[in-house]
Parts: sequence; C-alpha cells; structure tokens
Amino acid sequence: MSILTKVSRNGTWRATAMLLLMVFALLAMNAAGRVHLSLATVFSVLENFATIGPVALGLGLTILIREFDISIAGTFGLGGCVAIMVGSLNPWLGLFAAVAVGLVLGLAQGLTMVFLGLKSVAVTLGGLLTFGGLAYVLTGGRSLPSQNLEMALFVNATIWGVFSVRSLVAIAVFAIAAFSVGWTRLGRDMIAIGSNPQAAVSAGVAVEPILIGVFAVCATLSALSGALLSVSLSAASPSGLSDIVIPAVTAVLLGGSSLLGGAGRPLGTAAGVLILSLLRTGLTAIGVSSFGNDLVTGLVLLAVAIADGPELSTRLYELRSLLSTRSTGAPTMHRSSLF
Amino acid sequence: VTLAPDLIHKSRLRQALIWGRLRLGWSVESTFRLLLVVLLLVVAATTDGIFTTQSMLALVNSAGLVGCVAVGMSFVTFGGHIMSFALSSTVGMATIVCSALSEYGLGIAVVGVLAVGLAMNALQGFIIGYFRANALIVTIAAASLSGGVAEYLTSGQTVYAEGAVLAPLRAKMFGMPSVAYVFVFCLIVAHLILTSSRLGKRVFMLGSNARAAKAAGIRIATVTTATFAMAGLFAACAGVLIAGRYGAGMFDYGADYNYQAIAGVLVGGNSVAGGEGSVWRTALGVFVIALISNVLLLRGFSSEMQLLAAGLVVSLAILLQGRLKR
Repeated sequence: MSILTKVSRNGTWRATAMLLLMVFALLAMNAAGRVHLSLATVFSVLENFATIGPVALGLGLTILIREFDISIAGTFGLGGCVAIMVGSLNPWLGLFAAVAVGLVLGLAQGLTMVFLGLKSVAVTLGGLLTFGGLAYVLTGGRSLPSQNLEMALFVNATIWGVFSVRSLVAIAVFAIAAFSVGWTRLGRDMIAIGSNPQAAVSAGVAVEPILIGVFAVCATLSALSGALLSVSLSAASPSGLSDIVIPAVTAVLLGGSSLLGGAGRPLGTAAGVLILSLLRTGLTAIGVSSFGNDLVTGLVLLAVAIADGPELSTRLYELRSLLSTRSTGAPTMHRSSLF
Repeated sequence: VTLAPDLIHKSRLRQALIWGRLRLGWSVESTFRLLLVVLLLVVAATTDGIFTTQSMLALVNSAGLVGCVAVGMSFVTFGGHIMSFALSSTVGMATIVCSALSEYGLGIAVVGVLAVGLAMNALQGFIIGYFRANALIVTIAAASLSGGVAEYLTSGQTVYAEGAVLAPLRAKMFGMPSVAYVFVFCLIVAHLILTSSRLGKRVFMLGSNARAAKAAGIRIATVTTATFAMAGLFAACAGVLIAGRYGAGMFDYGADYNYQAIAGVLVGGNSVAGGEGSVWRTALGVFVIALISNVLLLRGFSSEMQLLAAGLVVSLAILLQGRLKR
C-alpha cells in the first residue's frame, strides 16, 4: 500500500496532511507578501483553537460512540454566564461553578438517555432549548460585564510568546483525551461502541456508563470553554456565544470523524480545529468580509457533510460507470446510520 | 405452558393497563398529557385579561406565524430527519425576497418567495437524500450559507417594501388577521398531502424505516427532496406574512423560528424519531406554547422566563416519549 493511500485512509493522518497543506499555503502567501505572519498570528490561531477546541473535542467523543450532543451551544453559553455571575464573588469559584454546572447537566442528559431509552439527539435538543432559556433567565437577556479585569488579564496573558492560559488548558485536555482514547481500555471500548453497539454489548463493554460519562465530559468541556472565553472577554452574553456549533461540527468532521461512529480520534479533531482556525485567520488576513466568512464556513461544512454521506461512494461509482459506458450495478454498502 | 397463579396475580395490574390501552386507546402518557392540558387551561382561565380581544389576537398572530413554519418542520420530523436548522433562514430570506419583489406587485412577490423557499430547501433535501448525508449538518451548513448570501445581497440593511403593495397581507377579514387564514390553509393542505397523497405515505415510510423503504423500491432522493421542498414552501408562507406585517425584509426576522417550530411539533406529541404524527398535533403544540407564553406574559413574567418555559415544556414532551426501563 502506498503511503498516499495509507494517509488518505486514516482520518487523523488525512486531517494532519490537510493542516500541513494549509500551513504551507499560508507560508507561501507570507513569502509572496499577501499576508503578514508573526507570532501574534500564531497567538490568535491558538486563541481560536482554545475557544473551539474543547467543544469540538467533546462533540467528537460523542460522535465517536455514534451519538450526537446538540446541546453544546447551550452549555457553552450557560457556562460563560455562570462563570461571570458566580465569578463576581470569586473568579476561581466562578470557573469551578461553571464546570460543575456542565458536569451536572451532562450527567443528567446521559442518565436520561440510558434510563428512558431515548436517542441522544432528542434529549440534547431539549437540553439545548432548556439551557439556552436558563442562560437568558440568569442574565435577564442582557450582556453581563465582569468587573474583575485582573482575571481577564491573567487568562489573556501570553506565555512563551504564543500561548495563553486558555490555549494551554485546551492543549492539556486534548492530550488527556488522546491518551485515553488511544492507549487505554476505555478508549478501545468507546471505539467498539461506535463501530458496532450490539457487538460491543456482546463483548461485555459497559456501554451505559461510558455513554453517561462521554456526555458528562462533553458538557463539562463546553461549559469550561464557554467560561474561559467569557472570562477572557470580561463579558457573558446568553445569545452572542451561540455560533459555536458550526465551527465545532466542521472541525470534528474535518478531523476524520464520521457520523456513522467509530472513526475519528482526538488528535484528528485537534487538526480539524487548527485547519479551521488557520482558514479563518487566512480569510481575515486577505480581507474577506463577514459574509465571505459565512459562505466559506457553510461550504466547508456542506462539503464534509457530503463526504461523510454513506452513499457518496455509490454515487461516485455510478457516475464513473456512466462515463465509461460500461453499465454495471453499483455496489451498496449498508451500515445503519446514526439517526 | 401454564403460568403459576402467583405470577398471574402479580401481573393483573399490567393486564388491566394493556386491556385499557388496546380496547380504549388509553395510556398513562395520554392521561398525563390530558392532565397537563387541563392544568394549563385552568391556569389560563384564572389569568386576568386572557379573554380580551387584544390578547386573543396576539395569540393568533404569534401562533399563526410559528404554526406555518411548524407545519413545514413537521414534514422534516415525520420523514425521520428530526429537524431542519435552515427554516429560520428560509423565513428570513423570504422576507427579503418578498420586499425586494414587491415593486412588481403582490402576486409576483408571493410566487417568487414561494419559489425561492422551495428551491433552497429542495436543494438541501436532494443533497441529504442523494448522498444520504446527515440532515442536521446539511441544514446547519445551509443556514450559514444563506446567511452569507443574505448579507451579500442586502449589505446587512433592512429592505423596505414598495409603498402599500404588501398592505393586503396585514388586512383583517371577519375580525381575524390574515395570518389565521393562511395558517389554517397551510394546515389543511399539509394534512391532505400527508394523509391522501403518495408523497405523504412515502414520507412516513421513509421516516419509520429508511432501509425498508429503499427495499420497497422508494426513491429516497426524490422523496427527501420533496419533503424538504414542502418544509421550505410552508416556511416561506410565514416569511411572506412577516414581510407583510413589517412592510420590510431582514434576515434576522426569521431568527427564532427553528426552535419555536420544532417545539410545536414535539409538544404536540409527534414522535421525535419520525415515521408517525399529524399536523393537527403540531398545531395543538404550537397553540399550547403560545398560550403558555401568553399566560406568563399576563402574569408578569419576563420574556426570558417564556423562553425557559418553552424549553422545559419541550424537554418534558421528549421525556414523555421515553420508556422507563423496568
């Protein structure tokens, strides 16, 4: 098997290759004088990574076990609001409270799925609406400013030129997740559940505790990310933070995950987030307006959604046989889809 | 095989429950739902000012607009795709197109809007059905794309309609706003499509079991395209009405309709998994949520509290669809 096939078959390697291409493209543009790269650019990419990363990681873990957490936007916004409101007493207490709220909400959703036998999309859809409403009630529908600027300065300060506390936290959670999924029995069990839930049950995998745990982790990570973003911006708003879903989903799918489950690893997701951050930085650098950004994001997401479609290969095969006049029946691959 | 008498005795309660369910169509869930509706009606009846014309008109106006989108959303849910995230943007886009086309007359504007709404969503449906791509993701992407297109077309400005061309849309007939008539019309059309046409049967078949539907020779791409086209058509109707009400078009006019619509569908008791349901239930759900919002408003709760209440009601509706593990 050639190295190219190897890279294109493995989601994580594919994402890494795309990331490298992105980096080379940016470097080439830099050399041509179209964009100006500096340490500040790297810092801003990493800040973007810190915002989207943990949310995408959590979502990626739910997709890995063939589920989907749509409530991430709700927990993200709610985490920010809790962090700022409780943080007026003590900023560390605020962060702690936000993480605790995320954990409790995630556990509650996971338990609901297991004990009522409901699909994750249904439960988390209810969660999205409820948590969003809760954030509006807590803040009274206004944007909440924070008085504690020291905390914001601490979170935003540059460390070793390109990092901040936020991006270091994001890198740390990715490292922990990559280790757990890649090198522990828990990770193997998760991949088994995503690849074939029935077989996983037969093989003695504790499906239900893992499901509850993954949703708890996902909600905790998005609440943490929302809290850190709000602290760094010194403000929380119930509505302003809701554009997290699109970049998170795009990053996860770019990173080699499939909605059919079992595919995609945390490192792939990290590469996906970086690709997206670089894309945004590049677009801003060459002066694309906000609607251009929307269009590119939408197109990328649409492309990865089509690429993830289980019948894409069948359609391509049909197309090829149409072109080459040989009429052969298209092979169909059946794999029960997530929804 | 004979069961031990003890075992039979223990399961007598369950036997009674099963008998009631089979013979009377009675179930614990339906009783619970009925109790909730009765509770809501009692609370509503004891609220001051709920039976005034003004409050009733507000109820009909908001429920009618959400209702049109919710009828569209019902197609998506019944077809097994859970929900579309692009109906808000269809509504927003419809208000813009309606205002922009108003200089050519009301008829052209309405036809143009319906065509745009239909085309936007039919395209999504085609992508979803042809590649079996995930509906949630595709519609999220489409929402982002159409937001970008709307921003490009309008530069973020409000598009004002030509003179009084759209005025007939906010006229009243027999004391009821036009919204009410359009909603009832949409409801009847959707009901007829879903119950008496081949498309309706196929939507439900696809929703209950896509693989079986495919094995039965149903063309999934065609049916999915039609499902989403219908959703876009009904959402565009709401867009026309909103453009008529404000005499202007803006993308953000559609903002919350996705969530309000799916809330109506689920609160009405339609299955979130698809394959069954009725638009009458959707209409009931929309009215229940509108009534709750109205009661909260009249009892002095904030609009944020109404959002939370809607979220909680939807969660409750979803939880009621679960089966307790015994």
